[in-house]
Amino acid sequence: MLTVKGLNQYYGESHILWDVDLDVAAGSCTCLMGRNGVGKTTLLKAIMGLVRIRSGHIEYAGQALAKAPAHYRARVGIGYVPQGREIFPQLTVEENLLIGLDITGAKQIPERIFELFPILKTMRRRRGGDLSGGQQQQLAIGRALALQPKLLILDEPTEGIQPSIVQEIGQVIRRLNQDDGLTVLLVEQKLPFARKVAEHFSIMERGRLVATGAMPELDDDLVRQYLAV
Amino acid sequence: MTPTMLRFAGLLGMVFLLVFPLLYTGSNYSFIMHLWITAFFYAILASSWALLAGYAGQFSFCHMAFMAIGGYTTGLFNNYLYFSNTPTTTCTEFAIGDRWLVVLDPIGVAASPRTCLDAAHSAWAEAGIAGEVLIGQPSLWFGIGLGVIMGGVFGLLIGALVLRLRTVYLALFTVGFSEILRAVISAEIAVTRGQAGLELSPLFPDGITLFGTYFAATHKLPPYYLMLGLFLLCLAIMGLLVRSRFGLFIRALREDEDAAQALAVNTVRYKILVFVITSMMAAAAGAVQAHYVGIITPNILIILQMSLVIAMAVIGGLESIVAAAIGAIVIQFALELLRTSFDIGPWTIDMSVWRLVFFGLLLMLTLRFFRNGLIFSLILKVERDAVAKETVSKRQAAAEPKEID
Repeated sequence: MLTVKGLNQYYGESHILWDVDLDVAAGSCTCLMGRNGVGKTTLLKAIMGLVRIRSGHIEYAGQALAKAPAHYRARVGIGYVPQGREIFPQLTVEENLLIGLDITGAKQIPERIFELFPILKTMRRRRGGDLSGGQQQQLAIGRALALQPKLLILDEPTEGIQPSIVQEIGQVIRRLNQDDGLTVLLVEQKLPFARKVAEHFSIMERGRLVATGAMPELDDDLVRQYLAV
Repeated sequence: MTPTMLRFAGLLGMVFLLVFPLLYTGSNYSFIMHLWITAFFYAILASSWALLAGYAGQFSFCHMAFMAIGGYTTGLFNNYLYFSNTPTTTCTEFAIGDRWLVVLDPIGVAASPRTCLDAAHSAWAEAGIAGEVLIGQPSLWFGIGLGVIMGGVFGLLIGALVLRLRTVYLALFTVGFSEILRAVISAEIAVTRGQAGLELSPLFPDGITLFGTYFAATHKLPPYYLMLGLFLLCLAIMGLLVRSRFGLFIRALREDEDAAQALAVNTVRYKILVFVITSMMAAAAGAVQAHYVGIITPNILIILQMSLVIAMAVIGGLESIVAAAIGAIVIQFALELLRTSFDIGPWTIDMSVWRLVFFGLLLMLTLRFFRNGLIFSLILKVERDAVAKETVSKRQAAAEPKEID
């Protein structure tokens, strides 16, 4: 579904991503892993078109996207939940959810979103900024789902969130992937969470992709070499 | 107070504005009407600036420049363009069908300038054909329309140029543009008459009959309704826009441009659009005001004028076009009515100077204690109370045990 080939990205003169190749199969759930600062978020942003790339190909559902603007990538079916949630704090929960509806032509917020996150229905008219961290994360995921994406990209969805909500978010991601057939690519630092939710892993080290495989293949050696701090 | 009562108060206010000129009979009728017309002018500027800065987060300092573009476009149109059925041979002219579009040479600042058209008149008189020559000016409404279009064109240009600029860089860029425009108008004395100002014909040069009564060109009632109509039209357009997807998208891009893009919002398009729309409104206000006042000078572009519009919007409430408009009207009246000096013992307080001090203090206090502005804070409180009530009642309803049949 998503193929990244030979991706190079720079911030100024700093070379951040080095010839990155990544394959995300349709219907799969892939976890992008690696220590802090290895380029995971930059790779997701590059896929989403939020940072410029110097060279390489990004192909999604047979369409070359490397030069397409971010809003076009969202339009063709890529949903993105940024790190740190980045909800619109002054907008109400409902308004946050309504933004993505434009491209689907729907007038109402899909009931599925409230089914997955009932709290969003209760808080519908409250401002996004008034929500707790966990609720904001649910809103950020709900907001991306309003686009009715085929591929959902999540950047550390459990960062700084209370354990009960982490579990809930894990269940939602599994349901979206298994029940709704949504392809998922997520960045996650929590190993147990990643093992529970994802079926594939890709590990990054210093801007390069160094290991990929099915989740059971993520053994202690790989963890020690690339993930342990 | 409930949101419904607020809406009712708004409706009452609108009715008041519509009937005021018909019911008011004070001896200072012309003065009060002038205050209202100027207040509507500032209300259009403050509310459209609130849409640009408050909703879309584009803190532009060249809103008055767009206003001036509207005013000067119609001013130049009004001073330079004529139609004639006979070629002048002295002016620049273009044949359009059996008529000639005559463009005057620069008119300069002489008290009674002798234009190329005057020279043509002399020549026609000498040739004995003066009686056959028909000279006319295109309707000033075309000039006003052209002013609005020019405002939009410059809005598009500036909007495209500042796409990548945020906060202080955007502010400095737009101050720069405004100052360049002021310098050009001031320097091109031959064309714009510089500081001497460009004179314009009144809005209704031959007077107008309204409600079965004839009003002379200098009467304040027709321009009152024209400016009020323009104000309400701008408010209606902005009201529709902010309630639509457009409003949602520009608020989203104000808060987080990347996140908005990731939700399929074409931020480039909406940023430029908001510049074009608000510039056209400012230009429309400027064009009508220029004809109403009868003269336009580059002094309307000084930074103090722009600060006044910003202060009006800030004191009213930046995130509400209605609050910004009310802020502008209140401030405009307060500034004029506070002009009366008074004595405290042996000291005379010269209010023509001190009123600006009070105004500055009010601005500082608003910024410190009411970040949402004085008017919008009130509106917001009423709306938030209603939402809080609704949430509490929902929670209580959910907590109450349900009866089992």
